[in-house]
Amino acid sequence: MVNSILILSLMSVISGFFILQHVKKKSLNSRWHSLPAYYAWFAVLWMVVPALCLFFFSSVLHLLHLYDVGASFLIPSTILLTLWGTWRGLKQINPELKARESVEKVIRVSLVLAASISILTTIGIVLAIIFEAMQFFHIVSVWEFITGTHWAPDDATDGNTQGMFGSIPVFAGTFMITIIAMCVAVPIGILSAVYMSEYASEKVRNTAKPALEILAGVPTVVYGFFAAITVSPLVVKFADAVGLHADYTNALTPGIVMGIMIIPFISSLSDDVIRAVPRSLRDASLALGTTMSETIVRIVLPAALPGIIAACLLGISRALGETMIVVMAAGLRPNLTWNPLEGMTTVTVRIVDALTGDQAFDSPETLSAFGLGLVLLIITLMLNVLSIYVIRRFRSQYE
Amino acid sequence: MKKQIFAIAAVAATCFTLGANIAHAEERIHIVGSSTVYPFASYTAEEFGQTTRYKTPVIESTGSGGGMKLFCAGDGLNTPDITNASRRMKAKEFKLCAKNGVNDITEVVIGFDGIAIAQSKANKGINLTRKQIMLAVAAEVPNKAGTALIPNPYHKWNEIDASLPNRPIIFYGPPTSSGTRDAFQDLVMKHLTKHMDVYTKLYKADKKKNKKYKKYKTIRTDGVYVPSGENDNLIVQKLIKDKNAFGIFGYSFLEENSDRVSAASIEGVQPEPDAISSGKYPVSRSLQFYVKNDHLKKVKGMQEYINLFVSEDMIGRDGNLTDIGLIPLPDARREKARHDTSVHKKLTLADLK
Amino acid sequence: MSKQVLANMKTNKRLRKRYRKEKLFKGSAIFALSLAAAFLVFFFYNIINQGYSALVQAQILVDVQYNEASHKSYRKAIDKSYRKIVSRGWLRTLPIYMEDHPEVMNTVRNEWVVATADVDQYLKGKSNRLKDKQKRQIDKLQEEGKVKLSFNSNFFTNGDSKMAELAGIKSALVGSIYVLIVTLLVALPIGVMTAIYLEEFAPDNRLTQVIEVNINNLAAIPSILFGLLGLAIFINFFGVPRSSALVGGLTLALMTLPVIIITTRAALRAVPHTIREAAYGLGASKWQTVWHHTLPLALPGILTGSIIGLAQAMGETAPLLIIGMMAYIPDTPTGFTEVATVLPAQIFTWAGESIRAYEERTAAAILVLLSLLLSMNSLAVWLRKRFETRW
Repeated sequence: MVNSILILSLMSVISGFFILQHVKKKSLNSRWHSLPAYYAWFAVLWMVVPALCLFFFSSVLHLLHLYDVGASFLIPSTILLTLWGTWRGLKQINPELKARESVEKVIRVSLVLAASISILTTIGIVLAIIFEAMQFFHIVSVWEFITGTHWAPDDATDGNTQGMFGSIPVFAGTFMITIIAMCVAVPIGILSAVYMSEYASEKVRNTAKPALEILAGVPTVVYGFFAAITVSPLVVKFADAVGLHADYTNALTPGIVMGIMIIPFISSLSDDVIRAVPRSLRDASLALGTTMSETIVRIVLPAALPGIIAACLLGISRALGETMIVVMAAGLRPNLTWNPLEGMTTVTVRIVDALTGDQAFDSPETLSAFGLGLVLLIITLMLNVLSIYVIRRFRSQYE
Repeated sequence: MKKQIFAIAAVAATCFTLGANIAHAEERIHIVGSSTVYPFASYTAEEFGQTTRYKTPVIESTGSGGGMKLFCAGDGLNTPDITNASRRMKAKEFKLCAKNGVNDITEVVIGFDGIAIAQSKANKGINLTRKQIMLAVAAEVPNKAGTALIPNPYHKWNEIDASLPNRPIIFYGPPTSSGTRDAFQDLVMKHLTKHMDVYTKLYKADKKKNKKYKKYKTIRTDGVYVPSGENDNLIVQKLIKDKNAFGIFGYSFLEENSDRVSAASIEGVQPEPDAISSGKYPVSRSLQFYVKNDHLKKVKGMQEYINLFVSEDMIGRDGNLTDIGLIPLPDARREKARHDTSVHKKLTLADLK
Repeated sequence: MSKQVLANMKTNKRLRKRYRKEKLFKGSAIFALSLAAAFLVFFFYNIINQGYSALVQAQILVDVQYNEASHKSYRKAIDKSYRKIVSRGWLRTLPIYMEDHPEVMNTVRNEWVVATADVDQYLKGKSNRLKDKQKRQIDKLQEEGKVKLSFNSNFFTNGDSKMAELAGIKSALVGSIYVLIVTLLVALPIGVMTAIYLEEFAPDNRLTQVIEVNINNLAAIPSILFGLLGLAIFINFFGVPRSSALVGGLTLALMTLPVIIITTRAALRAVPHTIREAAYGLGASKWQTVWHHTLPLALPGILTGSIIGLAQAMGETAPLLIIGMMAYIPDTPTGFTEVATVLPAQIFTWAGESIRAYEERTAAAILVLLSLLLSMNSLAVWLRKRFETRW
């Protein structure tokens, strides 16, 4: 099948090439409506598009299990259709034909199709998650899922799920780790941005900014390894030294490492918005005799605040959805506590654990992954909408 | 002109390949299933790939349940050829297989896996009974009089039994999604609770609402039992650090870290290969894989892979798999496994009951 | 300002306080930046420190017997006393080697062969499971010069292995390349076309707004949810083979799409309007303007964005966990529909291995991945610098 397709496409490329040559030569006359190449493309499109449509429809039929078009029918009919298309296309070519309009119409349609793929992707994600999540919420009530404080899915296989899928401990872990990450990332990120944009020379800034962005480019699985092998024992040792007990899977470790990961998001975006604050505002303030820090704190930062908040919101949604660091370094124990030295679990860890674990595919625990995924999706989408809103307001202030 | 040739080539090639249905030929063995069998299966797969001219089989660790689901999804060549399991196939799964046209299955038992209750080597040896362990980890236990269930009050071992040391109870064990945890619950908890009136009478009182009391297996979640990653180095580190703690994991992992942790005896028996394969050590289970016999002729090297797996070199007493923690079957049962695979013994529903 | 005034000001208590505050603020800003830099340095130091030792591997000089007996039972190829310290993974390949190279039959060759991971770890001074007797044997061999640490070529020519001494990254690396090719082929055309449509053609209507908001949302969706999409749509609905480079590449392509769209739009927007208007003035159609003028001018920006997007995709792991690319796949893939694993997935599986010799290999694989990503990113930066046009 694959081979015959390759041969077919090779054949069509070659014949397409000849058609192009032929038509171009034929239409090398300035009185024609369009440039020669357009007539050639017109013919080629006629050759390819009908056959492609046939392929597309037979694929759809096959995927929906409606009807299976066999290869023995498909290949000859594709060839016939290609020949017919070529003949039709070539026949239409004459000086009056508005080939450019036709070709550009096809281009435009394909551009619209490409643009709608991003919509299809979103719809796909939402549908894929909602469909399975519905099955889950069929077994577990939404209210209980959102307000329950007890997560113990191991007894739920027998159809009795009362009080075992309370997601609050799981979300508590997620938020705890996110908060720790933001405690690391926000002050360091914003202060770095302030230094880079207000104090540093151009040279320092040009090295510091890309250097920090390296931190953003490091794959999360690498951070996870770093957290589990290096940072976690350090945290435990440090806690021991001050007389505290820390679990190896404590929430602090992934929080700190995630914070390091998010620093460049916040510093780069904040740097951009701080630099976008008009020079005149600073000059006016400095001319009144303020120090640099007073100007920054009283004038520049408030002006850049919406942008900085948007950057932080982006950072938060990154932290909420981060998976590998927590899978490798955070615990699996749903734990409702304020102590970051204890092990906690997160939404993403539960999703991975449920989908790669030993449970049956339709068990409530496996399905719970989609319930959790749905809530995670809603939260991140809300954060995103919020940050877009904040940025919009900021823009209208200065332009 | 050159540019245009490239453009057309790219357009045509991508469109045609994307538009076409994706067909692929099965040239290598595709295996799914239990994460407990995974290390043994992947070791065998590598041996197979290195010592023969066949391609190395692909093994995906999907868990026993996930493996069965994929295995039973159909008979086509895009479904797995073999699934590994750390428990036997359930009747429900067998019926699913039959419904989807997978009728000819052979079950091959390859060995045992023992579940060890381990502690730091710095501790003195300890002997526990299954009942003591159950009382230590269950969420609800009988009160002293044995008349009703109360939330687990025990935080020290000597509260359960005066003969045990005055030592806090802490368990680092597998998480809810793990097959090892299922096995632990089956072999330690359900094994006892299904015969204990104090649990079962609740079930009998209200069969619908109290279904979980029929075979009670709920593990406490008040911090005494800490779910941790399976076969994770961190578990061992925790045990070394926290001398009071016990860890629950597979025997193979115990053996790998025998320089740092030691096992508790259960009912007087240490988890040692002989004790496990003879059934003396109570917390153990069999490991097996299921073969889709229809694929034997269509997938190259499948029979050879199975033959290698059940050979003395792999699952025998001094086989390579025992080096990485598999507990071998008794001689007669190994012979039976080889016999079953050579005649493609067909699994029937009656076998599973 | 005269000196006197300045002196007066300095005596001013409030002013001094303000200056102190200023210093403090500047100091803390410097501190924050250097803290971030310190993280970076510590992180790289730590990974390099853990990983560099995997670049060498213990080898032992032994007599290897090539004959009928060792063809039948490969253990017999070497002396009994070496069996515990020479890698069985190497020994077992001997029969096939003999079949392929009949000229070696019935010879005895003195060769450097791969030692077990424990010997390797012992020579590197790390924890190992060697018995005292074997340690003495190794010490003695070392005195005789029959044990050495040499460049670990296995690490780059082998796939994954259950024997740490043989484990390598080749199959994962090739798998990563396959996945990236799929990602590029799908995400680049669709991304650039979408961007062109939104930036040059789209009327300002509802649909356009929906698409724009959507792309922003897509960029914010956690990567693991793309894994759920890949599982539901590509594997379960379209029937793309599990664990294949194709399904991995398609899933990552959808994830990379917003990055490419956003950067391409920025690059198109940076092309000044005068150029478009000049083209229109000469009678060019909209598409001709885009194809012949706007797009070529925006190309460096598009390339930069695509490379950054691809680098991101290359380091991604979470969605691949869900679509089955976390399997044991030691063979190098040779096609897009064949099962494949990728470098980050390999790192993840090795990180979970209980045998301690895998730790340095994990770190070494990380070093390979990081150097690839860094070179991709520097290429992007270089492209931007080299071809950037300021209007």
